[in-house]
Amino acid sequence: MMRFALFVGCNIPARVQQYEQAARSVARALGLDLVENEEFKCCGYPMQNSDTKTSLLMAARNLALAEQAGLDMMVLCKCCFGSLKKAAHQIAQDTVLQQEVNRFLATEGLRYQGKVKIKHFLSILFHDVGVKAIKEKITAPFTELNIATHYGCHALRPSDVTEFDDPVRPSLFDELVKVTGAKSVTWPLQLECCGAPMMGVNDSLSMDLARKKLDDCHRAGADYVCVGCPYCQMQFDRVQQMMELEQQVPSIVYPQLLGLAMGLSEELLGLTMNTIDITNLESYIQMETEN
Amino acid sequence: MLYTYMVYIALSIFGLGLLFSLCNWFRLNIGLHAQSVSPWGRFTAACKGIAAQLNKEQLRLLGKVFIQDILLQKHIKKQDRLRWLMHMLIFAAFMFLLIFHALDKIIVTPIHNSFYLMLNPLLIIPGLIILAGLCISLYRRYYLKVPRLKTSGMDLYVISILLVIILSGLLMELTKLSSYEYYQKIWWVHIVACLFGLAYLPFSKMFHVITTPLSLLANAVMDENSDPANIATKQILELDACTQCGTCSKHCSVAVAYDSIGNSNILPSERMGFLKEYAADKNLSPKKLAAISQGIYLCTNCDRCTVVCPAGINLRELWFAAREGLVQQKQPAELMLSPFSYFRGLNQQRIESQSYAAPLEAVSAAVTSDCSDSAGLMDAPIVLNEKDTGFKRAVGVSARTESFSYCFSCENCSTVCPVVTNYSDAQESLDLLPHQIIRSVALGLKEMATGSTMLWNCLTCYQCQEHCPQGVKVTDIFNKLKTVSVEDNS
Repeated sequence: MMRFALFVGCNIPARVQQYEQAARSVARALGLDLVENEEFKCCGYPMQNSDTKTSLLMAARNLALAEQAGLDMMVLCKCCFGSLKKAAHQIAQDTVLQQEVNRFLATEGLRYQGKVKIKHFLSILFHDVGVKAIKEKITAPFTELNIATHYGCHALRPSDVTEFDDPVRPSLFDELVKVTGAKSVTWPLQLECCGAPMMGVNDSLSMDLARKKLDDCHRAGADYVCVGCPYCQMQFDRVQQMMELEQQVPSIVYPQLLGLAMGLSEELLGLTMNTIDITNLESYIQMETEN
Repeated sequence: MLYTYMVYIALSIFGLGLLFSLCNWFRLNIGLHAQSVSPWGRFTAACKGIAAQLNKEQLRLLGKVFIQDILLQKHIKKQDRLRWLMHMLIFAAFMFLLIFHALDKIIVTPIHNSFYLMLNPLLIIPGLIILAGLCISLYRRYYLKVPRLKTSGMDLYVISILLVIILSGLLMELTKLSSYEYYQKIWWVHIVACLFGLAYLPFSKMFHVITTPLSLLANAVMDENSDPANIATKQILELDACTQCGTCSKHCSVAVAYDSIGNSNILPSERMGFLKEYAADKNLSPKKLAAISQGIYLCTNCDRCTVVCPAGINLRELWFAAREGLVQQKQPAELMLSPFSYFRGLNQQRIESQSYAAPLEAVSAAVTSDCSDSAGLMDAPIVLNEKDTGFKRAVGVSARTESFSYCFSCENCSTVCPVVTNYSDAQESLDLLPHQIIRSVALGLKEMATGSTMLWNCLTCYQCQEHCPQGVKVTDIFNKLKTVSVEDNS
C-alpha cells in the first residue's frame, strides 16, 4: 500500500472542505494510505512576494516534518505544491542556504536533507496509481460529459522546478478526466491563470481573467470546468457566483468527478458543498445497458 | 473590626472593577461592527439577545455548554490532557474551598465545627490538590516548555497569588494546634492574599473565571449573522476571556513566520493582548499600529485558532473585524497587495463597498507613486554612475534572481503576460511592462523597478519565466523586488 503524508494547507480545511473529503474518499477506494500530520503549517505561498526568506523557511519546515516521518508528501493545493517544490529546489541548489535553513529548523529539533518527494494529488493518481488501475475502479462512467481541465499555474510553472508535466502541452489531467468516460475539451486559455492571486488586490483584473477563461470554457462546449487546487476552485466557484455571469460554467474539483465515476456517494464527495450547484453532474452517468 | 473593613473594601474594588469591565464591553469596539451604535443601544440589544434565549431549546443548549465546556472543560481536554488535569485540579478544589470554606458563613457547611481540635482533611486535601495543579503548571511552563506558551508577568502573578493563598492556608492548619501566635500571623497572610486576589480579580488574568464561561455561552448561541451590536459587545468580552494559554498559537498556520520575523503580534494569543490596547485606543503609536497590522495581516484565515480555542472565542471574526479597522487606517501597506488579501476579497460583500475599495486604492497609489515620478526619466539620459549598486546586489543575492543580467529585451515576457494582455493600453495602465522592469533592475533604477503598477499586479503565474529564452527568472525577480520594497519601508 502506498503511504503519503497528506498536506492540505490552509484554504481547504476552512473553505474548500469538499476537496479534502472527496480526495480522501477516492484515495481510500484506490488503496492509498494518507497519514495526517497536525504539525504541517502554512506552505509559505502567501509570503512569497512580501518576504521571500520567511516564505522559504515556512516551506522548509513542512518538508523537514515529512522527512522526519519518512514519508513523501501528497499535496492537494497547487499553490502549496509550487511553494514546497520551489523551496526544495532552491535548497538543493545552494548548500549555504541549506545550512541556514537547518540552523533555523534546529530550534525545533528538525533537519532537512532533501530526501522527501513532493507530489501533487493529480501526479500521484497519474504516475503512482496509474490510469490503468483507476480504470479498473470505474463503475459508473460518464457519457456525453464535456470537461474543461484547468491545470493551474503553480503546478505547471516554472517547469524546471515543479516537474509536473509538459508546461506547454500538458496531458496528465486530460488523461485523468478521460478515464472517467468524460470528454476533455480543447480550449485556448486552458493554461492561463484563474485570477485568484489578484483577488482582494485588484478585483477587476482578477475577475477579468476568470471571466475570459469561463467564457472560453463555455465556447469550447464544456459543461464543467475541472480543477485540482482550492484557489482555482474558489475563483471558479465562489467568485464566479459573485460575478453574476449570464452563462455560468460550474467548477468541480477532480476527486469529485472521479469519485462519482467510481460509484462513490454524493455525501462522500461533498457534492452539495460547492457554491454553484453541481449535483446535475450525476445525470451524465451512463445508465447500465440492459443485455 | 479591621477584618470587616478589609472585606468590604476588597468587595467594593471587585464590584467597581466588574462594573468598569462591563461598561467597556458596551462602550468599546474592535473595528467593523456597530461603530455607530451607542453604549446604551448595545446594552439594550444585549438584553434583547439574552431574552431571546429564554426558551426550552436554547436553554437546553446553554445547559449542555455549561456542563460540557464550563464544568468539565472538554475543549481543554481535547487539546492537552495534562493541561486539562492541571486546570481541573485547581478549578475543582478551589471551587470546593470557595463554597464550603470561604463562604461558610453564607452557605451552611459542617466543615469547621466538626474539625475544631484536629487537622481538617476537608481543607488539607483540596489544598494539596491545588498545589499539585500549580506544580503541573510550573512543570509545563519551565520544564516541558510547551511550544508557543509564553509566560508573562500576569501568569506569574496568578501562580504566585494562588501559591500564597494555598500555602498560607495549609500552614494555618498545621500551626493551629501548635502555636496560636504563628497561627494568627499566618491567618493575616492568608486573609490579605485572599482579599487582594478578590479585589484585583477583575483587572487580572483571573477575570477569566467570569469572562471565559460567558464567551463559551455567547458563542454557542451567536454567529456572524447575529445583531452587529451584540457581536461588537461580544468581541470586547472575548478580549477579556482570553487567558493567552497559547493553544491558538500552537496551532497557528503562520506561527513559523514569528520565528523568522520576530513580531510577537504574529502569534494570535499574544496579539490578543495588543488588541485590548487597540480597542481602548485606536490611535496607538504608528510603530505599535504597524506591528499589530503586520501580525493580523499575516494570517491565512485557516480557522485553526477558532476551532481549538478553549475559551470558545470566535477568533476568525475577531481578526476580520480588527483587520478591517486597521485597514481603514491604511495599515499595513504592501502586505495588502499580497495573497493574504484573498480572504478579504472573497468576503467583500460583508464590507461597505467604499470602505472596501478605498484602502486598496490608497495603498496601490502609495507603492506606485515613485515610479510615475521617475517615469519622466524615460526620455532623459540615465546617469549610471550615480545609481544605487546596493540595490542590484540586494536583488541578485541568489543565482536565480541574479539572472536579470541575461535579459536582451526580446519582450517575450511582456508578450505572454496575461496582465499585459488584459489591458488595451497596457503601457499607460501598468507604467512598465515586464521586460522594462527587468531592464530597470539591470540599470540599477530602484524606484522604477519597484514602483510600477505592473509589478504589484503580477499574478505570479510564471508565464514570463517559463517563456524566457535567456533563462531570466522573471517572476522570482519580481517577488524579490517586492520583498526588497517591503523591507525598505519597514
